[in-house]
Formats: sequence, C-alpha cells, structure tokens
Amino acid sequence: MRRRTARRPDGGTRPPWLIVPPALIGVVFIVLPTIGLLIRAPWSGLARIYSRSDSSSQIDVGAALSLSAITSLIATAGSLVLGVPLAWVLARTRWPGLSVLRAAVTMPLILPPVVGGLALLLTLGTHGVVGQHLFGWFGWEIPFTRVAIVLAQMFVAMPFLVVTMEGAFRTGDRGLEEAAATLGASRSRTFTHVTLPLVLPSLAAGTVLCWARAFGEFGATMIFAGSVIHHTQTGSTAIWLGFQASTEDAVALSLPMMLIAVLVLALLRDRWLRPGAVS
Amino acid sequence: MSLRFAGAVRQGVFVLEADVSVEPGEVVALLGPNGAGKSTLLRAVAGLRGVDAGTVTLEQDVLDDAGGSFVPAERRSIGVVFQDHRLFPHLRVVDNVAFGLRSKGIPRATARARAQDWLDRLGLADHAEKRPRELSGGQAQRVALARALAGSPRALLLDEPLAALDVQTRAAVQGELRDHLDGFGGPTLLVTHDPIEALLLADRIVVLEGGRVAQAGTPAEITSRPTTEYVARLVGMNLYSGTAVGTTVALDGGGMLSIAEQHYGPVLVAARPSTLTVHTEQPHGSSARNVWAGTVASLAPLGDRIRLSVTGPPDAFVDVTAVAVAELRLAPGRPVWLSAKATELVSYPAAAGDSARPAP
Repeated sequence: MRRRTARRPDGGTRPPWLIVPPALIGVVFIVLPTIGLLIRAPWSGLARIYSRSDSSSQIDVGAALSLSAITSLIATAGSLVLGVPLAWVLARTRWPGLSVLRAAVTMPLILPPVVGGLALLLTLGTHGVVGQHLFGWFGWEIPFTRVAIVLAQMFVAMPFLVVTMEGAFRTGDRGLEEAAATLGASRSRTFTHVTLPLVLPSLAAGTVLCWARAFGEFGATMIFAGSVIHHTQTGSTAIWLGFQASTEDAVALSLPMMLIAVLVLALLRDRWLRPGAVS
Repeated sequence: MSLRFAGAVRQGVFVLEADVSVEPGEVVALLGPNGAGKSTLLRAVAGLRGVDAGTVTLEQDVLDDAGGSFVPAERRSIGVVFQDHRLFPHLRVVDNVAFGLRSKGIPRATARARAQDWLDRLGLADHAEKRPRELSGGQAQRVALARALAGSPRALLLDEPLAALDVQTRAAVQGELRDHLDGFGGPTLLVTHDPIEALLLADRIVVLEGGRVAQAGTPAEITSRPTTEYVARLVGMNLYSGTAVGTTVALDGGGMLSIAEQHYGPVLVAARPSTLTVHTEQPHGSSARNVWAGTVASLAPLGDRIRLSVTGPPDAFVDVTAVAVAELRLAPGRPVWLSAKATELVSYPAAAGDSARPAP
C-alpha cells in the first residue's frame, strides 16, 4: 500500500490547511489594490493630464519623476558609500556602546518619516543646531533645496541597506578573510577583493531596497524639502499635490511610478532578489 | 632556530603552553587529539591570533612578543593550507593561486603566469579556468597548496591537510604531498590527529596533549618508545609505567613485569600486541618470564589479525590469528593467561613527570 507523502516529486511541500486561507487572503490584499488602481485609472484622459504641466497646475509630471529618479540614485550612491562601511563596523567590531549605536542607526526604520523630516529640519535648517553654523559660516541653506531631498531620502533609506549588509557581513565566511591575510592581502584589499564580492547578492538586494525606499520617499521630503514645482517636487510629493486637486490627477501620476517599480522588479528578481539574498 | 613557537595561549580555561621549533627544510608534525591545542598553536604561528605569553619567531624576526610587537598575518609571509582549503569561491583557480602575488603588487599578467607555472607543477594545468566548486577534494587540496606556495612563503603551515579527503584520494595525495614538502626549503609545520599522516609526512613528530608537549622525536622514536598512553594507542603499543629495581618492574596499575635491561627508578615498558601470547590454561615450562591472568574484554578485526583487549592487571592488547580465536574459543568474558618474553619488552626510563597518563 502506498502512502501519500507530504513531499511532492517536484520538491515542494504540501501546505497544512491552516496556512492556505491566510496566505490566499494575503495575496488578494496585496494584489487587489494595485488592480483597483489600474481599473480606475483615467486612461483616456492621461495625455491631457500629463501635458497640462505648464498651465495653471502646480504639478509637472515629467520634471517630478526625473527629479525622483536622479535624487534617489544619488541618495542610494551616498548610502552605499557611507552605509556599507558602517554595516561592516556594526557587524565586525567589538566595543562597548556598539548596541546603542546599532539601535540609533536603525532608528529611521521605525521612526515615522515625517518625524525624520522634522528632525532634519531642526538640525540642518537655517536656525537648526548644525544648520545655523552652515548658514553663518558658509552661507549654505539646505532646507527646501534639492540637496534636502537627497538628505531626506538617505536618512530614511540608508538604514535598510545598513541592516541588510550588517547581516551579510556577520554571517560571511571569515575563514576566507583569514586565508586572504595569510596570502599577504592588506585589510583593505581583503575587504574589496574577498569580503565585498562574497556579499554581492546581499549588496544588490540591499541596494534595491534602499533605492526603492528613497524613490518613494514622501514624509521626510515633504517637511524638509517641500514640493515646489520645477524645484523640489518629486514624484511622491507631486502625487500628494495632485490628490489635493483631484483623484484622477493622483492616479495618473501614480501610474509611471508603478511602471518603474514593475520594471525594476522584473529586471532584478531572477538575478538577485532570490529568497535568502536578504539576510 | 628557524621557526619557533615558545609561549602560551589562553582560551577560556584551556591553556596551550609549548615550545615547538622547526628547522628550514624540516617537516614537523604536531600530533594530538582534538582539543589538544594544535590548531591554536598553528593560528598563533600564522598570526591569526596573538600569544598571551612568550614569543613566536621566524629566523631573526620576532613575529609576536606577548604584549609587545605583533606582526599581523598579512605581513608574516607564512603560507597556510587550511583543512577546508578556503579557496575563494568567486575567483578562478588560477586567480586563487595568483591572489598572494597580486597582493604583493605583482602585475596581473606576471602573477597569472607564475600561478599557471605552479598549477602545471602540481598537475592542475587543465583546471586553471575552473571555479573552486568544480574541483574534487583532492584537486582543491592541491590548489590550496599551490596557492600557499606561489607567494614563496618563508614557512609553511598545514592544518589537517588530508582530513577533508576521502580515503582513496588521501592515499594518492599523501605521496605527492610528501614530494612537494620536500621541494619546499623552508620550515613546515603540519597539524594532524592522524598518526599515519604524521608518520608519512613528517621528519619529526611533536605530540601535543591537553595543551602541553607530551613527547617529541623522530617517527621511529615515537613509535618504538611512546611515553604516553595516547601515543601508545596511536601507534598500537601496550604501554606500562612502573618502578624498576634491576630487571623487575612493579607496575603503577598493579602487576609485575620482568625486563631484559637493568633499570632503577621510574620506567616505561612498551610491548607490541603481536609479541604477547594467549593461553587458555596457565602455561608451565614456558620460556616466557612474564605470565599473568586476565579476562578477554573485546575482540576487533585488525587487518588479517584480530586484536584482543584483555583486562589484567596489567591490561593488554594482544594480536592473534582468526584460527587461534576459533581454536581457543576466545570470546568476551573468557578467562585467559597472557605471556611475554622479557626480551620482547622495550623498557626506557620515564622522563620526569611522565607517568603514562590515561589519554584524554
């Protein structure tokens, strides 16, 4: 007599019945709103909305999207430059107070972005703790500039990269780094030629997470950079302004951002965003 | 004095305290059970950890002077072949071997050419462009050796070089490894828990037990005159400690043995299991001067022989033929008599502190 086994020939496992309903509801919950948005999109009026920018409207779709793209890429680059070394320090060094530092650094993960924007404003604003000196000594005015957008995005997005990379550095094979040392590789060479190549999948996953978070940043940007047309207006803040005027405008603005998200997902999914790549 | 570790390393409650030196061109095997401190010593020599007392020196250079100077691994120029090989998975075989040269600032083309030479020498020419995961265990081991040797290290360390290989590959690699070690002119320190590996590869063996050097000598010395229970068991000898008065030895564990040479004071007596004879009745008129009663505890096949473990005192391993087992109806629990000729027993004074302690 053959008994049914829990393992199928294809290697998958039959889920217990308890798992199935919530999983299905979960899928519907995530996918349905996206479909809803597509259904209600003003497809016939899109051209009119997109071309309306130079008239009375306070929104320029093209400018806002390209600003989002550029600032989020710069913020991601900045996060890589600062965040990867920071993650290494958090993962590999041992000194008192490290756990406090780790908590502080990952705070933006749980802090509402609006609060983050406020914190940036009070620190780097022209009357802020640091900002008053930047303004006084150098004449630098950061709030409500494009620099402010990048800073807001980095503040919110970098912790995602840091957390991902810290996990990767922590679980990485130190034996290989020891081998590199016995072969005469300096610490820096070991880092660039052994450590980094081995965490590449995590680095890719962390970078995408970080960029996605920066690209969609809204709360901190709104407070710290505002949403001035042709100046500091990003995709997300433009959607908010559009929503004030009419839902149709907001939906029309959302479509290109959805398209970009889908494109990125399709490009990266099979290469890097495998399960397990994010530690 | 070429390569020398003379110091102590603490790891929790465990303390490694040893003085081990290796001359240029010499292969020294550090032999000991797991947890004896072998790998700790190797890591300290490699510069992967510091010593807590004493020094590590290479020729005139002090590499580590507890609390004082510490030369990090990357500036020691000591090649290491790790037990798990530790090849870089993201680099091709040739780039793995060239890694050390590249780290020294040698241009890529030159480094690759020299790496290729090493691969040729180790019979790996066809594997240069492969990734490490495509290699067999034996090939990976040779690549690891090529990588360690390519940088012309001043000394070579091998951590259980054959342990990760299957039995068949081991036999093949063992012979050629010996050749390559002979070709390397610097001091070579080999860590192993396998006595065969030590006997085949090393000019000298240092036995490490519980963080201390238990015995050191040539393979011949170690196998004929073991000074600890652990070494005796490794080389398949019976070892007894006792106090000699002339040719009579009162054993520490009970019983007496007659030996051929005269000794006074603490001695060790070693007996090969094949030189002992088993009887089912007390032998009379035997020329053997040592006769004692015991009980068979267990039987285990050993090549074409069967090794009996007999409880004494003194306890003994005895090798007998399968025919003898059948004829004498030897089985666990059976009372037997053992005999040994005095001339077959090897006796030597115990060094101060030696007492054939039980193996850990």
